[in-house]
Amino acid sequence: MPNPMIQIDDEVREMTDEEYAELLELQESAPAL
Amino acid sequence: MATTTNYSWTTPDNTAYVKDGASAIRTLGSSVDTTLFTALGGAYPGLRLVKKQTIGSAVSSVTVTSAFSATYEAYKVIIAGGACSNDNSSLILTFGSTTSGYIYSYGVFASGVAIGDGSTSASGFAAAGQANTNSLTFNMDFVNPFLSKHTLVSGLGGYNLTNNNSRIAYSGVVPNTTSYTAFTLTPGSGTLTGGTIYVYGYGAS
Repeated sequence: MPNPMIQIDDEVREMTDEEYAELLELQESAPAL
Repeated sequence: MATTTNYSWTTPDNTAYVKDGASAIRTLGSSVDTTLFTALGGAYPGLRLVKKQTIGSAVSSVTVTSAFSATYEAYKVIIAGGACSNDNSSLILTFGSTTSGYIYSYGVFASGVAIGDGSTSASGFAAAGQANTNSLTFNMDFVNPFLSKHTLVSGLGGYNLTNNNSRIAYSGVVPNTTSYTAFTLTPGSGTLTGGTIYVYGYGAS
């Protein structure tokens, strides 16, 4: 299973494992309205 | 001496000497500079587009680099179009590589209902915007992101289709002195596709 895609300016690439871990941490702490 | 039609800038006569060319160009350049500064209201006046970023397809986050610089102290950021794979997802805003210490609060005004939420130690500005399968909503002002001062944000976060909430008044601060050049938007769930992020600078001079 590939990691999600990340975009920096015009470049879109697969997240590194570290970036994916940061993403999960960020999303878990964000309340849905 | 010949002059231009509208602003009477001095230009050399046809019979003027070549040896006086440097001086003539300098005089004309100064006149253009002065007129532009006066007509525009400053060197970098008004609201100016400094970055335009198209969101890719099925991305889990979008980072906009080179968004902030010493030219402007305050910015307006708006997203038009776009969509999220999930309805009623939020857009989480982060600056640079800072992943802690975000302080924010917001109020949600629905029909006859007012609710609010906030945090004093978040990993990002949660619900700074809203993301639905129909559209993305983000409309915020950033103050001081490039300056070595607290970065302030405020704006209208959007709406929630399922709960019929709207008019989200939002404000927050990153209470550090980091100078930022980039920001990132991350959906609380799902992925983003399409839409355009516009970054405008508020003219400072």
